[in-house]
Amino acid sequence: MAILKYLIKRVVAMIIMISAVIAIGYVMMYYTPGGFFTASNIASALGPLAAQNPQLYQQILRDFQERYGLNYPLWHQILLYIWHSLTFNFGYSMQNPSIKIMTTLHTAFPISCMLAFGSIVLALIVGIPLGIIAAIKRNTWVDYTASTVAISGQAIPAFVTAALLVLLFGVVIQGVLPVNGWGGPGHQILPTPGQAVLPIVSLGLGTIGVVAKYVRNSLVDIMRQDHIRTAQAKGVRYWRIVMKHGVRNSLTAMITVIGPAFAFTIVGTIWVEQIFSIPGLGQVLSTAFTNDDFPLAITSIFILAALISIMNLLVDISYSLMDPRVKLE
Amino acid sequence: MAVATVSTQSGAKPKRSRSQFAQAWRRYRRNYLAVGGLIWVIIFLIAGIIGPWIAPYSYSHTDFLNVNSPPTWQHIMGTDNLGHDMYSEILWSIRFALEIAFGATLVSFVIGIVLGLWAGMKGGIVDQIIMRLVDFMGAFPTFFFDLLLVVKFGRGMGPILMAIGITGWAGYARLIRGLVLSMRKGDMVEAATALGASQMHIARRYLLPNVMNQMAVSLAFGIPNDLTVMAGLSIVGMGLRPPMPSFGNLVAQAGSMMLGFPWMMYFPAGIFALTLLSYLFMADGLSEALNPRGGD
Repeated sequence: MAILKYLIKRVVAMIIMISAVIAIGYVMMYYTPGGFFTASNIASALGPLAAQNPQLYQQILRDFQERYGLNYPLWHQILLYIWHSLTFNFGYSMQNPSIKIMTTLHTAFPISCMLAFGSIVLALIVGIPLGIIAAIKRNTWVDYTASTVAISGQAIPAFVTAALLVLLFGVVIQGVLPVNGWGGPGHQILPTPGQAVLPIVSLGLGTIGVVAKYVRNSLVDIMRQDHIRTAQAKGVRYWRIVMKHGVRNSLTAMITVIGPAFAFTIVGTIWVEQIFSIPGLGQVLSTAFTNDDFPLAITSIFILAALISIMNLLVDISYSLMDPRVKLE
Repeated sequence: MAVATVSTQSGAKPKRSRSQFAQAWRRYRRNYLAVGGLIWVIIFLIAGIIGPWIAPYSYSHTDFLNVNSPPTWQHIMGTDNLGHDMYSEILWSIRFALEIAFGATLVSFVIGIVLGLWAGMKGGIVDQIIMRLVDFMGAFPTFFFDLLLVVKFGRGMGPILMAIGITGWAGYARLIRGLVLSMRKGDMVEAATALGASQMHIARRYLLPNVMNQMAVSLAFGIPNDLTVMAGLSIVGMGLRPPMPSFGNLVAQAGSMMLGFPWMMYFPAGIFALTLLSYLFMADGLSEALNPRGGD
């Protein structure tokens, strides 16, 4: 029962937090000079005639404001917007007034999820062995090389890695892997295996560094503890000690690294999608922001923020399940 | 009693023949990567300061006869699709990057110090509120808030600096509050209070010098982070407005033309990556040199 109470508490806190994010975003967008319904935008959509005819212009403006609820007082708009977001009823974007935001998300969201989770999985597959090797060969060149690689992965942001990878596979060795695009005719969401490699690798490098560093440090600590010495005295084989008594203990705590790493990866997704022109959420967010398309911009931030919060919650819960010493509170 | 004090002092003296700074420098010097990082960071700083004078062209100067030119003697790093000289663009973007990164780090550092000290010294409800705020800022990537702020306040130097600055203070505040809390319980503060020192005096005279080392390290990690965020804003299309060059703009622009004109990517991406690496190696070396307890 304790876990249920904890869950309810966390979910309520999460909703409050996300509502605050939406409210802040909405207020900032509301007071932004310019905005979407400027004369030039309407003129480009309806022809210059509409902009020159003040009555027609006002009429169109009013219609639009009614459609997006901009004629209510601000507090009402904010509450309405939060409610609509929390019930996943996002309405229409301003750029494409006839297409529901939900339709856009249907293709964009799975793509970004694939990228993010793919890179986390890659980071675990590569980072854990790297950390173990560095810890076993502590203070040798292997350790130093692994640490340097880990720091490099963390230091260089995903868009630079992505750009360098495109340079390598697009210019130096051509034709091995496709350097941009995602999916194809008939399958918009699923990529061909080759298309997924470079984005996921460039996203994963940073997380590999985080994971490897964490595993290395915690394993070094654990290998100094008493139960390891007992096992050695008992005559257990070295690899068995490392894998069973060392790595297993360090991995339970490692799940706490995944939460922040995931948030870091989500931001990386936005950048990587730009470089590889992948039609994911990052692409949606970026076009929305550059075009002052407020509903779409806030919705994409909402989705990403919700994704991060849910991931954090899952991490905390699974940590308490894996390590009985950790109390949920 | 007096004799005993004198004798312990004179006994301790020969051991600390070198200053703390010299000891830290000795430890730092042993780490070759950190020294290399420091050298590059210094070159980068110098380039940022004198860059606008040694740049052969202005950043908005366009050479229409040599558009998309590969590196030549006239344009040693080539030109882009509008004929901007890449070498000048890079020198100017170093200047802008340094201004924004240092300014933003300063802003968030000042906010962090004030809030962290306040929370740590005061405790109680103030502490609660500030720490909730820190948790809130820490839970979401501040990049989202940066985007919103840049949309609101525009894409100039000042707005971007402030946007990155006022969202990045959570880590500093948490660090400083933690340090203050760990020291408030210490004997030193108790002694000072007994002597009648005011809280402000204690904070300035005893607490700040003690947290200096850790603050230096967190600053060294903060600057490359702000550089990344600034470039990241440009990648999404919300960075400095185009005639002004920045590493993010250069990389984003080159990204779309890379397959035809790859030299546009070599220099900006290479220099940017090298700079971030250098900062990180420097920060890493600094944290080891200033914090000798982790001595294995």
